Amino acid sequence: MAGRDALAYSVIGVLLLVVGVPFYWMVNTSLKTSAQLQSLAPYYYPSPATLGNYAALLGTTNFPTWMRNSALVAVGTTLTTVLVASLAGYSLTRIRYPGRRLLATTVLIVYLVPPTLLFIPLYTILRTFDLVNSLWALLVAYPTFTVPFCTWLLMGFFRSIPRDLEEAAMVDGATRLGAFRRVILPLTTPGILAASLFAFTLAWNEFLYALVFVHDTELKTIPVGLNDLMFGDIFLWGELMAASVLTTGPVIGLYTYLQRYMVEGLTAGAVKG
Amino acid sequence: MGLANYAALTRDPIFHKVVWNSAVFTLGSVGVKVVLGMLMALALQQALVARSLVRALLLVPWVIPTVITALTWHWMFNALWGVVNVTLQRVGLQREPIAWLGQPATAMAAVITANIWRGFPFFGVSLLAGMQAIPRDLYEAAAVDGASPGQRFWHITLPGLRLVLIVTTLISLIFTLNDFNIVYVLTRGGPGTATHVLATYTYEVGFQALRWGKAVAVSMYLMPVIAVMIVIVTRYLTREE
Repeated sequence: MAGRDALAYSVIGVLLLVVGVPFYWMVNTSLKTSAQLQSLAPYYYPSPATLGNYAALLGTTNFPTWMRNSALVAVGTTLTTVLVASLAGYSLTRIRYPGRRLLATTVLIVYLVPPTLLFIPLYTILRTFDLVNSLWALLVAYPTFTVPFCTWLLMGFFRSIPRDLEEAAMVDGATRLGAFRRVILPLTTPGILAASLFAFTLAWNEFLYALVFVHDTELKTIPVGLNDLMFGDIFLWGELMAASVLTTGPVIGLYTYLQRYMVEGLTAGAVKG
Repeated sequence: MGLANYAALTRDPIFHKVVWNSAVFTLGSVGVKVVLGMLMALALQQALVARSLVRALLLVPWVIPTVITALTWHWMFNALWGVVNVTLQRVGLQREPIAWLGQPATAMAAVITANIWRGFPFFGVSLLAGMQAIPRDLYEAAAVDGASPGQRFWHITLPGLRLVLIVTTLISLIFTLNDFNIVYVLTRGGPGTATHVLATYTYEVGFQALRWGKAVAVSMYLMPVIAVMIVIVTRYLTREE
């Protein structure tokens, strides 16, 4: 057994290294001046480390604006998603009506249809409603993938709650919506947290729709805005990596707090099926 | 009008190249992701110390923005100052710097590498959850009968993971086949058309060349393949209800 343990820990060690190196390199680069980036001694650590790239990024570029836009779109998407997906997930698992199973299957299918197939039709729809080149375009477009995914995820959580609980509340005079709010929702908190985290992350990370639907620099989200820090073949690597650190920071922070729920949600969907 | 766009594409050598690239990119990435994910799951299943912490750490590439992943690898593959070239030269594995993103074969390898880095943890986490759902007494019975670790893997673990493996692989195939971010940020489809995949090509034809009909036709060629995979995933995921 000792031999197999040693093997397992070596595999884990190698994988941690593979996963860790790009993060180390991101941070390392962000702390170097452009002269230091083109010097081989020292190469593997910044000496002396400087916050100049962060100062330049926050002081001389539109990065703060992009960050605000990203936050606005991600928070807006998360709120819409949790509201719609929790009600939809509850309805699809608890209330009996014709076409319910078909609807549940459709939710899954819609989640699996990739953005590559949808971005051109979505663009023409948004143009019809005159929403192109505004943050509304993203606030409308993002729930098209976050809602189906989170609905599917929450259905798994709702299914795990015994029916008797809400039935007891309804016998005691609560309306269905009242029972949902006071009995079911508190029990589904882990699911709601997982759904919020997924919705926020998916919106925060999204690139293709943001690239296609929004053009003005002041309206860009971070992933698209970073293109403005590349001038042809000239990449401001120090600033780009500083931006990368600041962009991954919030996601990793949220994830650190909520990863238990996220993994639970992720594996519930994959394994149960 | 009509089917002219579809017909024109069948004779378009660039489109043929793009389809081929998509196949190489997708099958290459997903193949390695399955293997690495399986290794990750087996190692985590065996190693008990700090399992959930390690699982959380290994999943981080999967939660950060893909654009950032691609950007970081872009810099690491830099021909002059990239850490890949400098390190390979320092340890003596390579004499001259390689323009990784500037040559067809290495550029394809680079985009596949970035995609694998991002995607294998998802397989690892899913497969680990699948392994934990396999009843322990199966292994105990096999141990009593004197089955070797290899036999236990082939006759208990792998069959037990069949469903998770099929579903996870299909979902990964769908999203890798449609990956836009990594290729767009790392190579813009270049050099030439060496790494252009269906997603980046659709974008270029539609939004750079403004040939919408042709762009939709390109993406519609994906539809049958995607549809088949979606039907299979949906079948598996809704079967138990």
